[in-house]
Amino acid sequence: MLKKYRLSCKEVSHLASDYLDKTSSTSLNWKIHLHLLACSCCRRFIRHLKITRQIAPPLIQQASPEIDADSVLRRIKERQRMGD
Amino acid sequence: MTKPAQLNLAATPYGDEQQLIADLIAGDDRAFCEIIKRYQHIMLAVGRAIAGDIFADDIVQDAWLAVYKNIGKFEQRSSLKTWIMIIVSNEAKARLRRESRRVSLEELDGEVPGSYLDNAGFSSDGHRLAPTPFWHNESPQELLEEKQLQQCINKTLDTLPPTQKAAFILRDIEQESFDNISNILQVSAANVRVLVHRARLTLMQVIDRFQETGTC
Repeated sequence: MLKKYRLSCKEVSHLASDYLDKTSSTSLNWKIHLHLLACSCCRRFIRHLKITRQIAPPLIQQASPEIDADSVLRRIKERQRMGD
Repeated sequence: MTKPAQLNLAATPYGDEQQLIADLIAGDDRAFCEIIKRYQHIMLAVGRAIAGDIFADDIVQDAWLAVYKNIGKFEQRSSLKTWIMIIVSNEAKARLRRESRRVSLEELDGEVPGSYLDNAGFSSDGHRLAPTPFWHNESPQELLEEKQLQQCINKTLDTLPPTQKAAFILRDIEQESFDNISNILQVSAANVRVLVHRARLTLMQVIDRFQETGTC
């Protein structure tokens, strides 16, 4: 009977982002939560995903190359002059 | 929960979007350069996601021309960024129709071998066959200082399938809603969530490897 309340590690792996983004339903959240109480591997998995979600965006932004906005604007104006 | 970092717009002359829009409508070049700097990268990602790498540069140029010509008609029913993203999305879709190409969402089909979602990593009842790797460093602050990790993450980002990459950037960097991303990329919101999840898992694997070997 308890089986319908239990999620497997595989299901939790698939649902991990929904859980962190709070886009899963309350009942699903509860099932994930129950699984996490009993499974240290999935707790670690969720923790690592959370860290990834936290650090990847700033690491990407720090490395974004500078845009030469002046030359982009120059091209736009040239095209407009040529009647594009 | 800590939210992903946002662009540091306070460091630009335009913290206030209303002023930026007013200056754009007035034809101020400085304001236009500002939005080019803010949105060029993400526009390229959206163009690539919808129409492929070959057309992305042209699509973004066409989109900028459309923004330049039509900024006076912008009615502010959405944010400036969303308006621009819809324009680039429409340009990309129009280009796609012209080129009669179809971009498949193959990155949604099946699981990538060796990924965290690979069936081979689970028993028939769905339990993990091997424990989740340990990380010797779980401090986000310290990981953010790792230059080598930064290079690894960026290198991997560029290898992600275009739609996955665009969905990830729109969600975790630009912090767009799933509904907005769904409109921009013309993918269902459920599929956007799958794409973002897969991108995060791929980047998490990079951190796994970095923790174990100190390299990519």
